[in-house]
Amino acid sequence: MPRARAGDSVRPPGPAARASIAAATALVGLALLTADIGAGAAELKLLPPDEAFRFAARALDTRTLEANFSVARGYYLYRDKISFALEPSGTVLDATLPPGKVKDDEFFGRVQTYRDRVVVRLPLPRSAAGESITLRANSQGCADAGVCYPPHTQSVTLAVPAVDGKAGPLVEFQPAKKSWFK
Amino acid sequence: MLAVGGVVALLAGALSGVFMRQSSVPDGETVLAVTLPDVDGTAQSLAQWRGKLVVVNFWATWCAPCREEMPMFVKAQREHAGAGLQFVGIAVDDAAKARQFAMDIGVNYPNLIGGYGAMELSKALGNTVMALPFTVVVDRNGRIVLTQLGPIKQAQLDQLIKQAL
Repeated sequence: MPRARAGDSVRPPGPAARASIAAATALVGLALLTADIGAGAAELKLLPPDEAFRFAARALDTRTLEANFSVARGYYLYRDKISFALEPSGTVLDATLPPGKVKDDEFFGRVQTYRDRVVVRLPLPRSAAGESITLRANSQGCADAGVCYPPHTQSVTLAVPAVDGKAGPLVEFQPAKKSWFK
Repeated sequence: MLAVGGVVALLAGALSGVFMRQSSVPDGETVLAVTLPDVDGTAQSLAQWRGKLVVVNFWATWCAPCREEMPMFVKAQREHAGAGLQFVGIAVDDAAKARQFAMDIGVNYPNLIGGYGAMELSKALGNTVMALPFTVVVDRNGRIVLTQLGPIKQAQLDQLIKQAL
């Protein structure tokens, strides 16, 4: 019997907690630069989430998008943690997700997972002919090596064709370049 | 505002970093400097467990491997608390879910709520891909003796207890 609802998002901590964490993070970061952190660093070789779960999408016609995740070998996504929305409006798109592989999870109950590749059609609430629209994908997954990634978002901006008949180009999500000052 | 706070903290950290090198403060002090609310909202500083073998475990309810290893921590906490072993959970989760799960499996050690900010903290400690579970162990002298991404094995925990306790 599931005791928690999947798909819930994690609430960000309050300002005090954030400040405390920011300070602690900075301290730890500098300690690592200045001190020797010896023992037993992580041995697992893991992909960052944007590489483990590659996201791409295109406009199929003026009212339909097609999104896909390419999941690296040894990784999987939870079906019920996948959702799609338009940005910046936040309009949630009605996604009909294909059935996944059923997995028994003692906390969440029976859950379905995707490996390899999953393709989803997303009907738009209205025609977006000729527009540029931004699609946000929310997902969450794990690695067989025994770790899970936090809920994750990836966005792509798509050119919707002006008329039906020819699909728009496939756009792959590109992670933002790393920056010291976010 | 957070970014500005971060930069200020970074500068403060830079100064204390230089100071730390000169006075060779143990690296684990940065972990013990963390203060976060517990599942009931009360601020808890990790410094209160200084002098113990402190096992800081970053986890979340959405992380199955995390949930699977926690009963082993509960057992170790029960058996070795008297000798100075102290587990501390940092949940990258909301308080209600963390509290519920902790109750369900009878967690007998404090659980602090870090939210996503805790992922950044774990990243600074070596969790570069920011996945869970992630565990940092600070020994009784305040030194980090283990940082590990992925579940802790029973044999590993036994060894740690034998060597550092």
